[in-house]
Amino acid sequence: MEHQKCYVFNRQGGRPAKKRRLNNSNLPSSWPLRETTYNELWAAQEKRINDVLSEVNKATTGEITAFVSAAATESRTSACRIPTGLVVAGPSIASHRTLFEHLGRDIVTQTRSAFVLLTSAECPNLKTLLKDLIKNATARSTEDDEDDEVAGNASQKGPKLLNYDLQLLYLWFRIQNLDQVVVAFQDSEAFDGSLLGEAIELFKFWSDRVPFVLLFGIATTVETLENKLPRSAKRCIEGQKFDVTQADKVLERVFHAAIDGDDVPLRLGPSLSTQLLDRQKDHVQSVDAFIEGLKYAYMSHFYANPLSLLLRQDIRYEQLSSDDIEAVRNLDSFRQLAERLLDDGEAALVRYLLESDIVLFKNVKEQLEEGQLRISNMVKAIETLYALRRCSPKMPIIPRSSLYVRAVSGELNGSPAVRELLLSVKKASSDILVQILDALLASTPEDALSIMLSLRERLVALMESNEDSSTPLRSEHDLRNETFRTTIVAQKVELSKQKSALSKKDAAYSKLVDECHSRLEAYFAEMFINPQELFLHEIFLYDLKSPHKDAFTPRPRYAVERALSAPQDYLGCDCCHSAAGSDGTESTLSSTQPSTAILYQLYLESGSLINVSDLWSAFQAIMVDDDDEQSLTMALFQRALAELRCLGLIKSSRKKTDHVAKLAWKGL
Amino acid sequence: MKRKRAEKDAAASTPTKKPRAEIPDDDLEDEIAVAARTPSKRTPSKPSLIRDIHQARANGAATGLTNGDLTPRTQRKVLFSTPTKQREEESVEGTPMSARNPIVRNADRSARRKSAKRLIERTISGDQSDDDVDEEDILARQIWDEDEEEAEEDVLGDVDEEAIPETPSKRGRGRPKGRQRKRSPTPPTNLPPHELYFYQNRPGGTKTSHNTLPSHSLLNHEEYFAQMQSYKDPHTDSFDFLHSVHTRSFDQWSFELRNNFNICLYGYGSKRALVQDFASHLHSTLSDPPTTIIHNRHHHPPQKRQTSRPAPALLQLILSTLTADPPPQPLLLIINSLDAPSLRRQTTQSLLAQLAAHPSISLLATADTPTFPLLWDLSLRQQFRFLFHDCTTFVSFCGVEIDVVESVNELLGRSGRRIGGRDGVGYVLRSLPENARGVFRILVGEQLAAASADEGLGDEEGRLSPQTERRVGKAGKQRETAVEQGVEYRVLYHKAVEEFLCSSEMVFRTLLKEFHDHQMVESRKDALGTERLWVPFRREELEGLLEELVV
Repeated sequence: MEHQKCYVFNRQGGRPAKKRRLNNSNLPSSWPLRETTYNELWAAQEKRINDVLSEVNKATTGEITAFVSAAATESRTSACRIPTGLVVAGPSIASHRTLFEHLGRDIVTQTRSAFVLLTSAECPNLKTLLKDLIKNATARSTEDDEDDEVAGNASQKGPKLLNYDLQLLYLWFRIQNLDQVVVAFQDSEAFDGSLLGEAIELFKFWSDRVPFVLLFGIATTVETLENKLPRSAKRCIEGQKFDVTQADKVLERVFHAAIDGDDVPLRLGPSLSTQLLDRQKDHVQSVDAFIEGLKYAYMSHFYANPLSLLLRQDIRYEQLSSDDIEAVRNLDSFRQLAERLLDDGEAALVRYLLESDIVLFKNVKEQLEEGQLRISNMVKAIETLYALRRCSPKMPIIPRSSLYVRAVSGELNGSPAVRELLLSVKKASSDILVQILDALLASTPEDALSIMLSLRERLVALMESNEDSSTPLRSEHDLRNETFRTTIVAQKVELSKQKSALSKKDAAYSKLVDECHSRLEAYFAEMFINPQELFLHEIFLYDLKSPHKDAFTPRPRYAVERALSAPQDYLGCDCCHSAAGSDGTESTLSSTQPSTAILYQLYLESGSLINVSDLWSAFQAIMVDDDDEQSLTMALFQRALAELRCLGLIKSSRKKTDHVAKLAWKGL
Repeated sequence: MKRKRAEKDAAASTPTKKPRAEIPDDDLEDEIAVAARTPSKRTPSKPSLIRDIHQARANGAATGLTNGDLTPRTQRKVLFSTPTKQREEESVEGTPMSARNPIVRNADRSARRKSAKRLIERTISGDQSDDDVDEEDILARQIWDEDEEEAEEDVLGDVDEEAIPETPSKRGRGRPKGRQRKRSPTPPTNLPPHELYFYQNRPGGTKTSHNTLPSHSLLNHEEYFAQMQSYKDPHTDSFDFLHSVHTRSFDQWSFELRNNFNICLYGYGSKRALVQDFASHLHSTLSDPPTTIIHNRHHHPPQKRQTSRPAPALLQLILSTLTADPPPQPLLLIINSLDAPSLRRQTTQSLLAQLAAHPSISLLATADTPTFPLLWDLSLRQQFRFLFHDCTTFVSFCGVEIDVVESVNELLGRSGRRIGGRDGVGYVLRSLPENARGVFRILVGEQLAAASADEGLGDEEGRLSPQTERRVGKAGKQRETAVEQGVEYRVLYHKAVEEFLCSSEMVFRTLLKEFHDHQMVESRKDALGTERLWVPFRREELEGLLEELVV
């Protein structure tokens, strides 16, 4: 079996199916329910994200599809130019493919066109480009059997055509009865300029028979593409630019979808979300990578944490095992709660919680909902903060994701972002305050709505009474013209006079502003709690970094180097441990280590060119005690050498006989 | 009286014991005495260096040990400990030695100049230096480095002095040999990784010995397997433990695969058994296990004939079939060694990525090399949707993944052994037609003739063991390259035509192809672009082959 190249796996031993024991895995009993819970909750979450994505995609693909179908109606002669869509898709190359795949699907279904996607890797020269183009286009037809035959017949009629002859495409195109052929260059920057030029000119020659539409995926700017194309090619095309929503904006929206909403069961903790966002930024990954990260967070949470079961809405006491309940008592946040309660003198309640499972369960259910509510309120407050910050023109825009990260780590309360906003509210003139209040109204929960409405009514009344509508009302905190103030630094008295001489309306307005300010301040202070202090935050906040780090950003080189240079770390055996000199003397290699590890460590000490004969002597010196084992040692040596080669650490060198070249240095 | 004593000292070779107070007086005498006795030793460093090397080699040959950078400690000390001390003494004491110094220095200087010139010429003349670094180059390099090193050591001099103040060594005094500075083969310890890289890649840093592995010391297939079958690894328990640790994550993997992720296992050691276990685990725990396809790709070099071009059309077909008629459950595709050389091509990887991206296929791949992520760019990686797990098993690759004996032979450029050595070639030859054998005979004969033409000097000394043969230095080197250089394609063809072995180049090519297929002949283009052919065997084996062919 093992030497076979490819085979279908069959259960060894040929036992019939009846011997199969189901669920003999060592997973806890609550796992099936947990998996169901996971499936349900993630499905809901995924739907939310997909809605956002499809909405984003629809905007751009719709536009481009419309462009393509519009091109179909035009009559083509060889004189007119090829309609070309320049799709500016931004620098995150990884998302381009999905974009074009969506696009292709839409174009094929909504218009009568064939869609061919070309990437630079597939097309090193014109011949392969055409070959690929024809192959990809005509491969589609094989889905219908009769088409295949017809195509075969058609090609048999004339002389046999070379497989990069566009005549083939033409024949196929005529049979398919399509309107046009859409050719998309996914990564136009990576194509050779002259190759693109030649291709375009060729398309142009054929465009009276095969109407082409070209699409260029552009990661940089249209100008770059323009500079790249030869003039003759540029004359053949007529471009239209399409701006795709940039990946970072999409990410913002997806992130928002992942945290916002009352029914989001599980949210990302501060360090994990920082990690995910950073990875996104550093590696210019597509949004899909983020979604995968989020999904993996859900998966790990439900897989590894038995308490995640409590996130199920209809969880009943019987569905939990006593171990699960006990696990709650071991949570850090439970201890904090107990201490808090004891400080408040509620020892009886603590005793209840400790002794009675059912009381604890009920308490946990309540507290969990409470905690989730507070988190979702916090997210709403972030939304408010974000909206308000956008009202005042001077403030830099902080993305919601970073606000969330700060909030969830408990840093937002009293942070510069909030203080800045509150200060600007104080200074706001009436026209800006109206905007602020409008923004607040949009995001205020019902219970505070009446207060906000009354505030706004008063403001509107004030503004109407202000007969001179060209100048807005100003609050007392508003510093007037800066220049004014600095020019009369010496006449301080006058300045203060001016301040005190507020008009009546301004005074009334100031009062209004003060009220608004204090309400906002109180609101933010209440909302921006530190979620890590909430009871049961372990259940509704997932903040473990290491599973993600291991699964998404592995360090294979480090792992292999460590395995070979310190095998005892992995093997956990005692025999190899003595290897490192504990008395500060030179550490020696012990012969008990695996032979490859020994050879690797010898390899580390040598220079960039290694004499195998000397390596063998050194190896032998470590391994052998008596002569009759020599051929065994040689076998081990050969095996180790072959393994190092297979790992790509050495290669043969022709500089000297029996020498090998070193290819990797540890720890770089 | 004093002179006698001095001589006795020198003979006993324990000059270090002499107390320092006596030195000025004695030294003067000694110096004269030594100088008078051994005037030849004043000669500049170059000849003695060669002698030194020879001595070292003779030692090595005598003890049967190899002396390289990794072996005997004692030798290093001899070579290393003396120099700084001596220099220091010279300058302080102002003995007649100082009169000698200018000469030596001048000689050194000119040697240095010459070597610098040579090195520069080398560098300018270009890249073929890679192949034929001859003895002279090494020497030039040595002289150059040595001087550099002196400069280094002058800085370090003070430290050395203080460390050993009470050893007014007189050994080797007045001998130019003492001035030979050898860089210590022991690397400085505890260098950070980047420093170590630069240290090991410093110019002239690659000084290795000329020892070669005797051809009989490497095991052939039978010997190797005989040894390995009787061998039991002492760490088997630990390996089992590691295996069981990984086994515990089977459920997790299964969960991840169900969620449309693909899995990539990395880490040192063969993961084939683990993957196999995982497959049977899936089949035993799940009520309707996924259809599992296992694909083995091992580290055999891709054979030209076998390279099946992965057909994109076929892929299209597979994908469209899966899309049109999705199986109730994703197929599980297991690929062992995704980073095997045969799969490393960009196109192959992108095909696999497309396959892996399909929702009806889940992929479990293993990767062995430490640098496998370099295979994928951002979009490929995205398509793969991999979750990575460290599965270091320590299980040797030698079972299935690699053919150890062949791999090592290839590594050491002894690939001729691949088809079972000389016997294998003989077997192949017997099955070939007469004229094919003729062509091979000519090739072997030419190759040997070229080798013996270069031999020249070597003949006087008779046949030597490989190690002493090396001593001949340049001549030996040339002889070897002659063997490697092989025979020009044109020459061989004309000879074959002359002997009526073939009538046209077509026929000749066909004959050669047979040899190529059996890896009996290797070819490469030399610097001038002419094709050269040679039989990848050592001299002795070639002679044996020729004998067989002629008989």
